[in-house]
Amino acid sequence: MSEMIFSLVMGSAFGFALQKAGLSKYNKIVNVFRFTDLAVLKFMMTTLAVSMVGVFALKSAGIIALPAIPATYVVGNLMGGLIFGIGMAAAGF
Amino acid sequence: MIGLLKKKEWSPYLAGTLLGLVYVCSIAAAGIIPGASGAFENIGGLIARAVHPELVKNTYFRFVMPPGITTAVMMLLGIFIGAFISARLSGDFKLQSVPDPQWKRVFGDSIWKRWLIAFLGGIVLEFGAGIAGGCTSGLAIGGGLFLAPGAFIFIAAMFISGIPVALLMYRRKY
Repeated sequence: MSEMIFSLVMGSAFGFALQKAGLSKYNKIVNVFRFTDLAVLKFMMTTLAVSMVGVFALKSAGIIALPAIPATYVVGNLMGGLIFGIGMAAAGF
Repeated sequence: MIGLLKKKEWSPYLAGTLLGLVYVCSIAAAGIIPGASGAFENIGGLIARAVHPELVKNTYFRFVMPPGITTAVMMLLGIFIGAFISARLSGDFKLQSVPDPQWKRVFGDSIWKRWLIAFLGGIVLEFGAGIAGGCTSGLAIGGGLFLAPGAFIFIAAMFISGIPVALLMYRRKY
């Protein structure tokens, strides 16, 4: 139960960050594929860098153990990604 | 501080830092990697089970994405709430029937056309996320932060297909 509320709070912060970055707007999403506005990439890569440093700092300090890492299966990731990209560029979400 | 919260748009670096901290918090406190696409599959499974139980009697819904109100669903719900709070604080919140200026310039004023493309695109997007094992949040960032190779294959693939699709749709206006 507490896990549910925790997820709700985390989700709210997630949505807050997305809205503040303007990623709830059609043009922000589609323009990254037109190379006219790279906000999506700047946002994603910043998130990656920050979370990477944070998680591995905590892991190295022995405070947390790593969760199950998303699986790599080349054909699935590749085909899924290709299909995903079509939808993302078309819908702009 | 309040002024910052009320600002209409943050630099993507600042917003990205906030999201990065969300990932750290969620993984450290609960071992949950934030993601958005899985929730749709959980809810879809619930609906399928209610409509026609045979539909969910397969490996995918039994082991990979069990139907139900999961933490992912709560997170998805939270995304709406958080985005709403953000939009209200900055006075950016308004109801609109979607085609925004850029879309109108290129594809015209038709609302139905916009809704149709958004709906079909959404289906394609979620289908792709289901095959890949996550979306931009759950796989690309959630996997990328552990340097999982799948995440980077996914990001590359997303651009390999996204760029030509945008090119085809925009043609000379690209």
